[in-house]
Amino acid sequence: MQRTRPDASDDLDDVWRALSNAVRRRILDLLVEGPLTTGDLSERFPDLSRFAVMQHLKVLEQADLVVPRRSGRERHNYLNPVPVQRIYERWVCRYMRPWTDALTSLRHEMEQREAQGA
Amino acid sequence: MPPAPLPDAVCSIVIRVPIETVWNEITKTGSVQRPLYNTLLDIDLTPGGRLRYSSPDRKRVFIAGEVLEVDPPRLLKHTYLFAMKPEAATVVTWELTAVPEGTRVTLRHAGWTDAHTAPEKHAAGWTEILGLLKSELETGDIPAKTKLVYRMQGLFLWAMPKTTKASYADEQGW
Repeated sequence: MQRTRPDASDDLDDVWRALSNAVRRRILDLLVEGPLTTGDLSERFPDLSRFAVMQHLKVLEQADLVVPRRSGRERHNYLNPVPVQRIYERWVCRYMRPWTDALTSLRHEMEQREAQGA
Repeated sequence: MPPAPLPDAVCSIVIRVPIETVWNEITKTGSVQRPLYNTLLDIDLTPGGRLRYSSPDRKRVFIAGEVLEVDPPRLLKHTYLFAMKPEAATVVTWELTAVPEGTRVTLRHAGWTDAHTAPEKHAAGWTEILGLLKSELETGDIPAKTKLVYRMQGLFLWAMPKTTKASYADEQGW
């Protein structure tokens, strides 16, 4: 099996950079409900030019937070949950340890009972 | 009132291996696919072909379906029936694209309606699966915590609904 070095993007710099902006976070809030075309999104930001909205989308795409899909002439922007999952796994998941410890104890208990013929 | 459609679940990841490596892993039969919740895939890779994700001993079937479209190594599209709670079939599409860094894998799960139970759970599942696929293919391993979860799942297979029994799947013609 091929073993590569840990992914250079493991620090998720692009993701943090993308999330550090309020407009981009608002775009993600909108996309959580479902995909939107670039036009739909632009309408939601009347104070921004379409070009500005597209620039923000580009940063989000670079971070893999948004995945574009063409449907006919329109470009639908989908929220990609994978980078946020990776943040969760890296920085939050250690709090699952009590749960995994509990499961390990449960397993030992069950194995003991089996051995005793309970 | 007919069920209202819900948006497709889409998730995407870049895996730093060649496209054929990803394709071979997701279509692998005969040995367990760790990223796919430790299931064994049986699949007839032609349109109309049958597909099943089972427990390693094949006594339980978790996902059943039919291949709709296949174009190695780029595309696999199939119907998806969740044996634990069988409802209207939905459609899964694996789309693989070669990129400079390796392979972009985009998974789309479509056909959800508000009549389905917990579509968001399946969406969350795919997100986890793509992460595990990246880990498996880039490093040859998956997190210890996940392996522990798989061992626990293995202990509780007997408690799963009878709709997950292979005999039930056979009766249903899945």
